Amino acid sequence: MAKKPTDVTLLLVEDDDIDAMTIERSFLKQRIANPIVRAYDGIEALDLLRKGDVSRPLIVLLDLQMPRMGGIEFLKEIRADESLSDLVVFVLTTSKSEEDMLLSYRQHIAGYFVKGEAGEKFLDIVNVLDSYWKVVHLPG
Amino acid sequence: MIEELAVGDKRKKLIYAGQMHFVHWLIVLLSLVLTFSAWYYSKSQLAQKLEAKFQRNAEQVVDLVKERMGLYENALWGGVAFIDSVDTDITYTQWLAYSNSLTIDQTYPGINGIGIIYNIKPNQLDDYLKKQRLLRPNYALHPSHQENEYWPITYVEPAAPNKKAIGLDMAFETNRYSSIKKARDSGQAQLTAPITLVQDAKKTPGFLFYTPFYQKGLKPKNIEERRKSIVGVTYAPFIMKNLMQGTLAEKNRHVSIKISDAGDLLFDDHAEMNTSDFDSNPLFSKEINVGLYGRVWTFLIQSNMSFREEGTSNQSSFILVGGLIIDTLLLGLFLFLTRANRQALAYADEMTIALTEKTKHLEKSNNDLEQFSYIASHDLKSPLNAIKQLVSWIEEDCQDILPDDSKKHLNLLAQRSQRMMKLLNDLLDYSRINRDEFKHEQVNLKDLSQDILALLDNPNGMNLSAPDIEINIPQTPLEIVLRNLISNAIKHHDKDAGHIIISYDSNTEYHFIAIEDDGPGIAPEFHDKSMEMFQTLQSRDKVEGSGMGLAMIKRIVEHYQGSVSINSDGKRGTKITINWIKNTSSVAIKP
Repeated sequence: MAKKPTDVTLLLVEDDDIDAMTIERSFLKQRIANPIVRAYDGIEALDLLRKGDVSRPLIVLLDLQMPRMGGIEFLKEIRADESLSDLVVFVLTTSKSEEDMLLSYRQHIAGYFVKGEAGEKFLDIVNVLDSYWKVVHLPG
Repeated sequence: MIEELAVGDKRKKLIYAGQMHFVHWLIVLLSLVLTFSAWYYSKSQLAQKLEAKFQRNAEQVVDLVKERMGLYENALWGGVAFIDSVDTDITYTQWLAYSNSLTIDQTYPGINGIGIIYNIKPNQLDDYLKKQRLLRPNYALHPSHQENEYWPITYVEPAAPNKKAIGLDMAFETNRYSSIKKARDSGQAQLTAPITLVQDAKKTPGFLFYTPFYQKGLKPKNIEERRKSIVGVTYAPFIMKNLMQGTLAEKNRHVSIKISDAGDLLFDDHAEMNTSDFDSNPLFSKEINVGLYGRVWTFLIQSNMSFREEGTSNQSSFILVGGLIIDTLLLGLFLFLTRANRQALAYADEMTIALTEKTKHLEKSNNDLEQFSYIASHDLKSPLNAIKQLVSWIEEDCQDILPDDSKKHLNLLAQRSQRMMKLLNDLLDYSRINRDEFKHEQVNLKDLSQDILALLDNPNGMNLSAPDIEINIPQTPLEIVLRNLISNAIKHHDKDAGHIIISYDSNTEYHFIAIEDDGPGIAPEFHDKSMEMFQTLQSRDKVEGSGMGLAMIKRIVEHYQGSVSINSDGKRGTKITINWIKNTSSVAIKP
């Protein structure tokens, strides 16, 4: 069931509009056409996923500090949910804390990005994601 | 742990010292026993002393009486000797002369007189009376009696007070008569039993003292001869009261005396003398029987009030009261000391609790503050990032339509945002210093410095030299310190090229790391200020800086129990020396 890399949807779970815009701008800049679905927190993201509003294959780009339900809690939820436990999740956060990183990897994330202070770093992240879904096969 | 144990021991000791123990009570008890023994001993000593004194006084009284009687005996024997030496009968004049020469009232106080009694047989009576009446026509014997002989008082001097006695016949009354016969038979001086002298108007007890003389001055060897050759006796009448006054008057006695002869009272101090000193219930009392010239006098000697006063002398009371006061003080002292210890302990406990609470409170507020500055700086970063982001997008998107002034303003906006970011990052680092604990590891000073230099913005190409040595030190904190110092040296340098020299020294306790530059230096008056938070010595527009570099260095170094010192004259060059404590097992660094 081979799908084109451009079919991969990015579920962006991020409460900060600017950060979300930065990602979107970076996609534009790098001419990446993949669809982006935005959720403001863990609860909204879970809703979208469970309703099937996000088409598969998908990759989750997850912030850790968010209102209502944070990233770590969201991770625990999807890992406990049989239909969602196969999701590939990257964490994108301002937290450099070792503890946060450790907790995230324990929930089997694919990668941990620390938000940089300038736009260039975001470009790198977007490039990584683009390369990732071009090369890596994702579950449908 | 060892410390806690020691504190526990000290506490136990304090608790122990805060209680009265067996030893305390024992000491108080012993001192009480000691006090009472001393009191008892002193009392018994006093009693013994008193008794000894009483015995002495009693014996003295008896000795005085005996001595005085001996004196009178001598006077009487003197009369006998006089009579013996005169061949013819003694005339009244002769006896007067003899008795005058004795000066009775001065030499023999207490004696009532001295006289001669002749033994007259019935057949000699007329002759005798005739002879006496030659000089004393009224001389007569009295009273009459049934005996077959006469013992009339012939002469007695001084005559006036003894007038009633002249002519008195001793045979008329048993006491007088029996003693005179005893004197005759024994040849010895003899006393009569108590009698009342006829010349004593007050009728008080008295006695007579006889010394016999025989024919031709002989001293016959047996009773028959004595009876055959008796001529008479010299005699002295005594009023007992006078005798005692004469004998003992001048003595300040502490005893009272009662003298009796075979149950008949001779003398009683109590009856006769001032009774104020008399003790009706005497402390000491003694009866002495003294054989005196054919009689046995019983001396009953009793202690007076003055003895009692001495007996209740204050000495032992002082010992008792003083001792009890000392014992009370001792007990009081013990109670006071133990109470003081308890109070000290209670106070210490109170202080400990207060301190513990304070420490907890301080720790909490310290943690809160750290937490706050961490969260604040962290949370402030994301809106700042957003601002920077937005500025860059405006620049990107409106490159062509923005006027030059607005572009300049956007630049300034970006620059200020960058400065704020730096400030927040430094604040975050600063608050993190105590959050993380770093282990000691081997660090090459030269490699570390060069790495730091390489990462820093070094437009002027500053030259850095450091010794190529390994030191055992927590790497990350040292790195922060060195980075800030090197960065400062570069930032503040006023010339195109310069040198930074890092040097190292150590002793058993400390690493000494010095960073020396040839920049403009820091004026001595600013040395302290430069290490305060948010203090910059130049405008931030001229030299970018958060003002936290040195403050952070100081905090890190002090956290590791070291110190920072600045050495600069403010003209050229700055040398900053870090004293960093070495990792010794005895030094535990608390987080």
